[in-house]
Amino acid sequence: MNYKELIERLASQTGHSQKKTRQLLGEITSVLSDQLSEGKSVSIPDLGTYDTKINDEKKVYNPHYDAFILVPPKRVVEFTPSSVIKEKMKFLETSDE
Amino acid sequence: MSEKITFKELVELIAKQSNQSQNSTNSFIHELVGIIEDGLKKNGSVSLSGFGKFELRWMKERAGRNPQTGEEITIPGQNKVVFKPFKALREDVNKPFANLESKIIGDDPDASKPAPKAVPLAAAASVASTTGDISIDDLLIEKENPRFPSAPVKKKPPLTTPSEEKLAREVQKKGIFNWSYAAAVVVVLAAFIILFFMMQRLGEQTDIAPTADEPTEQVLTPIEPVIEPDEQVADDEEAEPGEELEQTSFETASHTLQSGETLWSIAESQLGNPYLWPVIYYLNLDLLDNPNQIPSGADIEIPSISDPDNLNEFEREQIALGYFSLYEWNRANNPDEARYFLWAVGVFSPDLLDQPPSQVDPDDLIFARNR
Repeated sequence: MNYKELIERLASQTGHSQKKTRQLLGEITSVLSDQLSEGKSVSIPDLGTYDTKINDEKKVYNPHYDAFILVPPKRVVEFTPSSVIKEKMKFLETSDE
Repeated sequence: MSEKITFKELVELIAKQSNQSQNSTNSFIHELVGIIEDGLKKNGSVSLSGFGKFELRWMKERAGRNPQTGEEITIPGQNKVVFKPFKALREDVNKPFANLESKIIGDDPDASKPAPKAVPLAAAASVASTTGDISIDDLLIEKENPRFPSAPVKKKPPLTTPSEEKLAREVQKKGIFNWSYAAAVVVVLAAFIILFFMMQRLGEQTDIAPTADEPTEQVLTPIEPVIEPDEQVADDEEAEPGEELEQTSFETASHTLQSGETLWSIAESQLGNPYLWPVIYYLNLDLLDNPNQIPSGADIEIPSISDPDNLNEFEREQIALGYFSLYEWNRANNPDEARYFLWAVGVFSPDLLDQPPSQVDPDDLIFARNR
């Protein structure tokens, strides 16, 4: 499902205009990404938990250069789906894609 | 784990920012979750612009084990919900580290030194002379010297690789005569080549030159002349020539930590080499516990390092101690990565690796020595 379809369905279910829905959804994602950027973890009921994790600096071998490369530390988003949604999707036959 | 914000706080924040009531925000999010679920069921993927994409990923059937009973079971294929953050979100979250780049360090970060061939030789020779009670030289002198004239030594092909030397030593232990003779040649030739490089590099150090002839002219050499030059080479590799002044402490400058700064970025801008950051960590151990999360606003001490390409012995030791503290911290908090820090200790100060300030894991030590 692409973003447009999502907005259409969300608008019809919440009774907001599509423009308003788009704007509200934008606020939600921006607050979520702000919180994650501050290093906080955020749970959304029935969907899952967003958290961040710092991958430490590491040394990896790169065969192309035949040398070791020091990869700097990196902070990444981790999403853990809630058990509710996990169970629902587990044995689902996906129709397409 | 990270500090949590509750769903209630999240709803409050969103409601405030979008001028909506908390009730309607709450139900909006629940509708959203419902639609995401529906979308996953129908299409297997849902994307949220500017944020990320939810996807179903099919995990194939695989063999597993019941962790309680140890019984082998087949885990049936199933869908897994995955979230892939889009670029904007990835970059936002990685902001504190955004200015860092990967760096090629080669086999050994110090490999850029002059006389590259002398380094492995010196290493091999000094390892040979320091391991165990009976060094290769002791054995050689006891067994070989009385029998063999010195002349053929020079005619032997130069066998100089450490592995051959190791092999030679092993065979010698079994008492095979010819091989141990070859080992003698290896050691003498190694010493000779090292001295040759030293003479090229340090033409002014004439006091070493005379000893260069001794090992080649006769095999019946006392142990010292062979070992001494080796150690001297090794020492010269560590403390760059000319830096003979004994330093015992750093001149420091105060620095107030800004939001978004990392020890890495500070080391890069203030010391000229980001890989020296552990020295800052070590100097401010009382202030900084977690090296990955440094308190913004705090005042830390930055040591002054005159030339990051030519570290003196004291600086190397301090950096190595910094890496060692990081090794200890990582052993407690991040055991999988800890050994890399111990490896770095050896880069800056092999001595510290031989006499660690506290207990190290033997496996880590083997890894750290393997370079």
